[in-house]
Amino acid sequence: METYLQITSVWGVYLSIAVFVAGMAWRIWEWSTTPRSPIPLGMFPKPRTGTGRFFKMLKDTFIAPQSFRIEPWMWLAAMAFHIAALGAFVGHLRLIHEFPFLPSLLGEAGMNTFAAWSGSIAGVLMLGAILFWIARRTTGPYKTISVPEDYLLLALLFGVVIMGDHMRFVYGSIVHAATYREWFLSLLAFKPAFPVELTSSNVAFSLGTHMLFVDLFLIYFPFSKLVHTVGALASNYVRSE
Amino acid sequence: MADATTTEATELATLAGVIDKKMTRQLKQYLDLCARCAICKDACHQYVATQDVKYLPAYRAELIRRIYKKYFDKTGRFVPALYEGRDPDENLLDELYETTYACTGCRRCMYFCPFSIDTQFILSVAKAMLIAAGRGNEMLGQLADAAIFKGDNMEMFHDVIVDGFKDVEKEVQEITGDPTAEIPVDKQGADILYVALAGAHSIRPAAVIFHEAKESWTLSLFEAANYGFFFGDPVKARKIADRFMDEAVRLGVKEVVITECGHAYRVAEIFHEAWAGKKHPFKVTHVLEKIDAYIKDGRIKVSKAIELPITYHDPCQIGRNGGIFEQPRDIVKAISKDFRDMTPNRQEQWCCGGGGGIVAIDEMNEFRLKSGMKKVEQIRATGAKIVASPCENCRLQMEGLDEVHQLGVRIAAIMDLVVESMPLKGRDAAKV
Ligand code: SF4
Ligand code: SF4
Repeated sequence: METYLQITSVWGVYLSIAVFVAGMAWRIWEWSTTPRSPIPLGMFPKPRTGTGRFFKMLKDTFIAPQSFRIEPWMWLAAMAFHIAALGAFVGHLRLIHEFPFLPSLLGEAGMNTFAAWSGSIAGVLMLGAILFWIARRTTGPYKTISVPEDYLLLALLFGVVIMGDHMRFVYGSIVHAATYREWFLSLLAFKPAFPVELTSSNVAFSLGTHMLFVDLFLIYFPFSKLVHTVGALASNYVRSE
Repeated sequence: MADATTTEATELATLAGVIDKKMTRQLKQYLDLCARCAICKDACHQYVATQDVKYLPAYRAELIRRIYKKYFDKTGRFVPALYEGRDPDENLLDELYETTYACTGCRRCMYFCPFSIDTQFILSVAKAMLIAAGRGNEMLGQLADAAIFKGDNMEMFHDVIVDGFKDVEKEVQEITGDPTAEIPVDKQGADILYVALAGAHSIRPAAVIFHEAKESWTLSLFEAANYGFFFGDPVKARKIADRFMDEAVRLGVKEVVITECGHAYRVAEIFHEAWAGKKHPFKVTHVLEKIDAYIKDGRIKVSKAIELPITYHDPCQIGRNGGIFEQPRDIVKAISKDFRDMTPNRQEQWCCGGGGGIVAIDEMNEFRLKSGMKKVEQIRATGAKIVASPCENCRLQMEGLDEVHQLGVRIAAIMDLVVESMPLKGRDAAKV
């Protein structure tokens, strides 16, 4: 188990973060060094001012009102997923530092309950959206336009989320954020170490597997269609040029 | 044998190279970003009418994306299988031809896409590739070449064209009841150069309106239609538009006014400056913008002469892609008693199915009429008896739809309706 953790939750983390950061930087560099289209590609109606255009870009990217009008269910799944993923990301920041204010407000037990609830909701929402996407992608016209990349990403996401949910629901009341924080801070300090609470129980396997999927996901991220996380801002900006 | 395969491989790579030649930041992003979420699926009238995946916008773009992945994307070259990377071989080109020349360029898919991916723009690369493979649509190519030939050999055509204008001029004199009414050609220093389509139908009503508005205008020797754009060759397209753009510079006009046509307006207003790499020393406007201003400024008189229920169809190239939504509606409202908008309308207006040059492609006739299903439903729902639309391709398509589905509507150009609603001495006298 130690080796498994060493690979996925120590070296894998270093490697995947390095690949992710370098990959995204490379991708953005590639975009920005390719000459822009001489043909204006905007469509109407478009805002008259620069500020208007900027806010329309934010609206089109983060709310996508047009997509809602044409496919409300897909929009709902995508919204649920992205908001939950953002929530989960913020929740994971507890790995670095306990939130300010909240614990003193809720008390330690209260904080853990709060984290359990919000984490559970986010985890379930993400899982629901992923299952919806898998179902959608394996039927009808969606199946025809799909390529292996789509399935690979869904599989990786499924792995990340299902193992995260597993840790949340099975070990949530046993192992708390403080324990994971000890491990994660040791990584950040480049003195990787695992607290006994992790290594002495089966949670080690769950953490290891969660991290395995996270590592693979992060490594593949910059080379996949997931670059839309950054690129959508640019392409939605062009919409109203 | 080995030789044959190497030549073939070189040919494929050369064809794929078209993508690289056409590469821009926007194209790259469109190719990199698409999530294949298929939200664009039900935006496309052709997919909705046929339920055939080959007309699903993302799938059309996917054909180009798969070549891009195999040849130019770092990851795609590493593991092409992950993206189903493909060669631009016979099979792919066959498929590409159908999906690309069928696309009307309405960009309704882009409107609904969460990343605003411009499928028409991706398909402009597909057209370039088809042309490089000698598979560009022949009809569109010939029409484009004919237009360029006319531009290069104007002295050959000049007198015949002007004679034709003289005939129309006589009609204009009869309608207006003013024997001095004229259709000026080559008039140095006129304020407006009006660019019509081939044939009298887009000249006559405009001439009447300009005459009544006492406009200082001159008629272009060239027609606005641009088959180079539909064909997919920006050099040809530019040459075709250059014909009247150069004429405008030569005559020193302040404004180039494009007739009731969709793509010609977009070409002139949105694309031409980018193709030519320089700013126009004049404004480009659509004739309906002018007419709307004439009515509002009282330069021409109209009455609410149209009693029958009337609706308005936004041509994609004028509305969503050209930014003119209100002026044509205001005109129609000013001359009719019962205006009914379609649902959805303006930027969400359904494409009628007649854009992108598809009306000139005989082999796609049946498919084209089928793809107008949504428009038929929309027109029916309004209960209108007249459908007004300022694009000749839209009107051709909707006339076809009217015939096939027995809609019993009149498909009309707005200028004609305006002329019908104007008090005109000559015509009114003839009526009595
Ligand atoms: S809506 Fe946009 S991102 Fe989604 S499949 Fe269509 S083109 Fe791709
Ligand atoms: S531009 Fe119009 S016709 Fe072409 S794929 Fe998009 S929706 Fe369909």
